[in-house]
Amino acid sequence: MSARKSERVLNLAICLLMTKRYLTREQIRETIEGYHGLTDGAFERTFERDKDDLRSMGVPIETGSNDAFFDDELGYRIRRADFELPPVDFSRGEITALGLASKLWEQASLAEQAVSAVAKLRAAGFELDAVPLAGLALSVGAREPAFETVWNAALTRTRVTFDYRGLRRVVEPWHLTYRNGAWYLQGLDASRDAPRVFKLARFESTPELDGKPGAYQVPDGVDPGMVMRWIDPAGPDAEASLAIRGGRAPELRRRGYPSPSAPGVPPGFEAWVVPYSTGGDFVGEIARFADDVLVLGPDDLRTALIRHLEAVAR
Amino acid sequence: MATSSDQVERLLALVPYLQSHPRAEVSLTAKAFGVTPRQLLADLHVLWFCGLPGGLPDDLIEIDMDAVESDGTITLSNAPYLARPMRFTPGEAVSLVVALRAMKEVVTGPLADAVDSALAKLSSAAAATPGPEVGVQVNSGAADVREALTAAIDAGERVRLDYAPASRTEPDEPLVDPSVIVLVDGFAYLQGWALARKAWRTYRLDRIHAVERAGQRVDDHGAPPAFDAAWLDARPNVVTATLDVTSDAAWIAEYYPVVRSLAIRGGQRVTLKVADLEWLQALLLRLGPGIKRVHPPELGVPAARAATSALRLYGASPRG
Repeated sequence: MSARKSERVLNLAICLLMTKRYLTREQIRETIEGYHGLTDGAFERTFERDKDDLRSMGVPIETGSNDAFFDDELGYRIRRADFELPPVDFSRGEITALGLASKLWEQASLAEQAVSAVAKLRAAGFELDAVPLAGLALSVGAREPAFETVWNAALTRTRVTFDYRGLRRVVEPWHLTYRNGAWYLQGLDASRDAPRVFKLARFESTPELDGKPGAYQVPDGVDPGMVMRWIDPAGPDAEASLAIRGGRAPELRRRGYPSPSAPGVPPGFEAWVVPYSTGGDFVGEIARFADDVLVLGPDDLRTALIRHLEAVAR
Repeated sequence: MATSSDQVERLLALVPYLQSHPRAEVSLTAKAFGVTPRQLLADLHVLWFCGLPGGLPDDLIEIDMDAVESDGTITLSNAPYLARPMRFTPGEAVSLVVALRAMKEVVTGPLADAVDSALAKLSSAAAATPGPEVGVQVNSGAADVREALTAAIDAGERVRLDYAPASRTEPDEPLVDPSVIVLVDGFAYLQGWALARKAWRTYRLDRIHAVERAGQRVDDHGAPPAFDAAWLDARPNVVTATLDVTSDAAWIAEYYPVVRSLAIRGGQRVTLKVADLEWLQALLLRLGPGIKRVHPPELGVPAARAATSALRLYGASPRG
């Protein structure tokens, strides 16, 4: 049955592509053999489904009438210019890049999308070799169970609902961001009427599509930097005076500068001034170096570090 | 999943493909479309009944079925109206754009330029309704480090790295035979043979501060082990640690290769594979009060000792 359906749907696509005029339902019913012998009701249902199928594949079926002055019956057609891949000329290097890119996805449904995009490039006559480059092994993934639904919601501009930080949210997805292996959604939290950023790994329920595709517009001038500011704490806003054991903790030394005159430096240590962000986890960062780093000041940092180390020493 | 929609979508690309590839081989064509040869033959049988409305023999797409059966090649004709594939759907375009943007943060030289220009041209081939904006940022260190490593790999040259190791006892200027640049879970690594350890090691690119050519050719160490989520399992001396962490420290479950993570009262119980006890010590020191329990308990002892020794420093030093 499935082969019969494929045949009918493809013939419908070809028929709508070949017509300059809008074809009415009745004309389509007569033309396509696959619709012959159906009752009126069965034809209506089948035609609606076929049309939806083609649209979901991205086939742009136009609806309109041939005569603007009469209340003509609506008809259908596909404009070739909207349907066909426009002439585009990729160089050999660009084709190599696209071929590599199409293999990056670990996430199954996105990998499939990339493969079908590349199949279209092949169909347009480009030769893509499946030769991986020596010295490179790149991948992009999405392990978050919420990913696929959120991706589809963003793609089709469909509202999505999920639990986050103990609250039920209804969100209009605007942007997605992949940063250091984690996915973030930026969108309008309709339940609060304010833009918010959500980390997909922190969703507390399986997200569900809510309502119809194309339900909202992504506003112009949305600030993608919001995601980065939300993820990254502010830049340095304080300076620590540290004693660092000779040659140790290169990451800290690289960020700061030596201060030879600082008092209270034990033998074998050197004094450094290192900028840090009070909103970040600087205490944890220094604690990692254990007895290679001593905080000379400020006092609140020193006290916080001592408390932190006491928790580990217990 | 093989639905009729998938098949029609494929057929719309297959018809122009076969017209631009006369006498295409069944096996290669199947591979190009990511289907089995059997599925491809089923596709051809559907196409056999498709064409212009009218249903006369001249209206239908022609496929030389004898050639398919006798020498495994496909010749398709009489479909000039499907000479070009469809535009990319928004999903297809965005999947390529995201992958190219990730590549752009890792590759260097002419390939990086090609990635840039491919991205620019891709937008013209996309569907009329553009897909969502997707930002990509991977942690791949400095461009000059990537360039130096890529050049050394291409030339087969040994390098000395200025490296900030995750644990404190590793050498910070290792001599390495570089092999592959790997991007996995948003972080880029160099996979190379560490001469001092006589073993394959990985170095996070953002921890490499400089690369110096050692003026020697690399030795042949065979292919490096596959680097993926299962990579830690393949290493010797791997122990399993279970940490009860507060919700403040639950982020570790998203950062490290975790075997299991389940919610417990006030936090998370995270089980991870640890190949390097120094690394675990650094993690426990870093998380501090975020760790409520370590199992087996002896895995927590080195960190506790290090913390005690650090605290002694404060007992001995006058308050600044």
